[in-house]
Amino acid sequence: MSETFEFTKEELAEIDKIKAKYPDKKSPVMPVLWLAQNKFGHVEPEVQQLVAKTLDIPAAHVYGVVSFYTQYYGTRKGKFVFDVCTTLTCQLCGGYDILHHLEDKLGIKAGETTEDGMFSIQSVECLGACGYAPMMQITNGVYCNHLTKEKVDRIVDDLKAGKMPEFEQIPFPQHQNESSK
Amino acid sequence: MPEIFIDNVRYEFEGKPLVLQFMLDHGLDHPFFCYHPSLSIPANCRQCYVEAGTPVFNRETNSYELDESGERVIRFFPKLMTACSLEATDGMVIKTHRTSALVERAQKDTMEFILVNHPLDCPICDQAGECPLQIQTYKYGPEGSRFEHKKVHKPKRIKLGPRVILDAERCINCTRCVRFTEEISKTHQLTIISRGDKNYPAVAPGTEFDDPYSLNTVDICPVGALTSSDFRFKARVWEMNQTPGIDITNGKGCNIDVWTRDNVVMRITPRYNPAVNDHWMPDFGREDIRRMNENRISKPEVLLDGDRIKSSWNNAELNFTENLAGLESNEILVIGSAFSSVEDNYAVKKLFSTLGFNHQVFVPNIKEGSGDGFLIDDDQYPNTNGCRLLGFEELTSEKLTLLLSKGNFKMIVSLEDDLVGRGVLNEDLLKEPYFVYMGSNHNKTSALADLIVPIANSVEQSCSYVNSSGRIQRTTAAKETLYTNRRLNLEMSVGRLDRYGTKFDNWVTDRNRIDCIPAWDFIERVATNLDKQTGYESASEIMDEIASVLPAFNGLSYDRIDDELGVQIIGDVSKVTSA
Ligand code: SF4
Ligand code: FES
Ligand code: FES
Repeated sequence: MSETFEFTKEELAEIDKIKAKYPDKKSPVMPVLWLAQNKFGHVEPEVQQLVAKTLDIPAAHVYGVVSFYTQYYGTRKGKFVFDVCTTLTCQLCGGYDILHHLEDKLGIKAGETTEDGMFSIQSVECLGACGYAPMMQITNGVYCNHLTKEKVDRIVDDLKAGKMPEFEQIPFPQHQNESSK
Repeated sequence: MPEIFIDNVRYEFEGKPLVLQFMLDHGLDHPFFCYHPSLSIPANCRQCYVEAGTPVFNRETNSYELDESGERVIRFFPKLMTACSLEATDGMVIKTHRTSALVERAQKDTMEFILVNHPLDCPICDQAGECPLQIQTYKYGPEGSRFEHKKVHKPKRIKLGPRVILDAERCINCTRCVRFTEEISKTHQLTIISRGDKNYPAVAPGTEFDDPYSLNTVDICPVGALTSSDFRFKARVWEMNQTPGIDITNGKGCNIDVWTRDNVVMRITPRYNPAVNDHWMPDFGREDIRRMNENRISKPEVLLDGDRIKSSWNNAELNFTENLAGLESNEILVIGSAFSSVEDNYAVKKLFSTLGFNHQVFVPNIKEGSGDGFLIDDDQYPNTNGCRLLGFEELTSEKLTLLLSKGNFKMIVSLEDDLVGRGVLNEDLLKEPYFVYMGSNHNKTSALADLIVPIANSVEQSCSYVNSSGRIQRTTAAKETLYTNRRLNLEMSVGRLDRYGTKFDNWVTDRNRIDCIPAWDFIERVATNLDKQTGYESASEIMDEIASVLPAFNGLSYDRIDDELGVQIIGDVSKVTSA
């Protein structure tokens, strides 16, 4: 059975609003892909086609954008996606150790999804949180910082229990005194 | 006039040339990959670096500032500039690798980066010998590789579409192919996917690169990443001869290069002509190599008691003249061909006019609406306007059928045109009269002929065609027939294999030379038998004669056609019906 993907009237109205913000046809592709991914949970080729058709731009271009960003899920992912940063800073602080630990723990490799559809792992480029390296992001949402193997274990267990880690506020060193005051 | 100084040499320029193009136009070699004169300029390969500066102008004194030695003070851009995207300005100073150690170093370094993940296996790469990356690495690249790590591996042999195959590892992400589909063919089928060292071009999932112009990306790909599924690994560039020709698969007349090896046409690539096809051609024009090589008529054939047998040329001539003898002027129908050249059509027409046979017709092959307004024309034949200008009566299929069924024709002479195969004539109409077919390839029409005269095709002789916009262009012999020889015919190109191969080695044979002669040559022989010879020895002589007798062709010669890349001989094409 093949699924069909469509936008509702409301979503189309939303897309029109997005389009109005940009001078040309190609530019709205990112927010519209985002909208589509929030709705469908992924932007697989059929969804890319839908976005291309809706915006009247080449499907190849949409594919190019989807494949550029790890944040867009060009293939279906698990319920929780661990985006483990392996760019320089995180790498130096043990990003790969974290990645491999996760891989061993879940029994999958980066780019794969667990059989129960719960978890996916991706090795991604810098997420702009180098100060808290090594770090990962969960399903384009919460950042988990200063990772250790123990912390990772806890996060996985929490998620299995349906508990999303809290947003952590980490003060800058120069502000540390203030917050402790 | 504004001036620019490149490596201390002064040049004058007009308008706003780009520095790279300007250097290339002036014969100054300079490395580059992503720039293409007919595409937009992304300046992404960074290979064309130069140092650039402009003279300092003092507004108060209204003059250039000078240093102690009286030279202009030049203010250089703080960083190296990409020559491809840099517009020349008056007084600009450019330093290339010839005068700047910095530029030389930068070119080496950029090259080193480009080569980091590029396979270093030129000996097994299809592009070797015509690869800008290979050439420029030799000229400007580093001596060896300092890169000791495992290269990033990417997919090889990706079938992008029915005609194009990608080796992603060889791609240097210049985006020429992507820009081609965006800007020239406008199918927008390609994009670069992923990022960083994982980049390579791809089509959207579920689609294929079936662009009717897809093979042009293979030509412009500066490395061996894109290859033609038809041609890949068939021949080395240095084994082939490259000869200028004209695409005769439709009325546009794209300028082409015909690549032969041992007298087999291996591939066809577009040849630059800004007035016709720029750097491009449609894919189906390249498939014409089949017609050039395969299913050829070699040696005349006659019908003898219902059996088709090969015959000598003498016998073919005799058959022809004998059947001609004693016929009344309205008993012969001459069918010219918009598929054949101006010269062949002219020679046929002239002989029969001299003999007083004036039923001379042709049936164009125009499929309204099949063109695309770019390089694919409605007209399926290359020389419709030529036939019109030569004065063949233009008939529709119905009219020709009517003429044949009502007329009392005892002999029909038809120049290469598959009238039966393309549905113009019912085969029964050709059965009664003595039917002479002069053509290069076997087809449904030749199958009905009493006499088949094998004639040289567009790549076996020099000949010209008037395209659908009224421009006359010509081909050069690229492939030898049994009677031509590239060592003797100085117009033909002689490649390495031709020069050094012998009939006794594995590489060169006589097998691929067809037993055929140009149609005009056969006509000349017949004319000689009838004491009507004109003394033609070459197609260019015929063109000279045409130029002197037909006003539309006045002032034409092969030299002029060559010099001007073809000559526009009809102003307003819509006005041409017949002379
Ligand atoms: S395939 Fe060739 S033309 Fe296309 S981006 Fe790569 S190197 Fe450039
Ligand atoms: S390197 Fe990991 S967040 Fe910047
Ligand atoms: S040619 Fe590629 S940057 Fe200039």
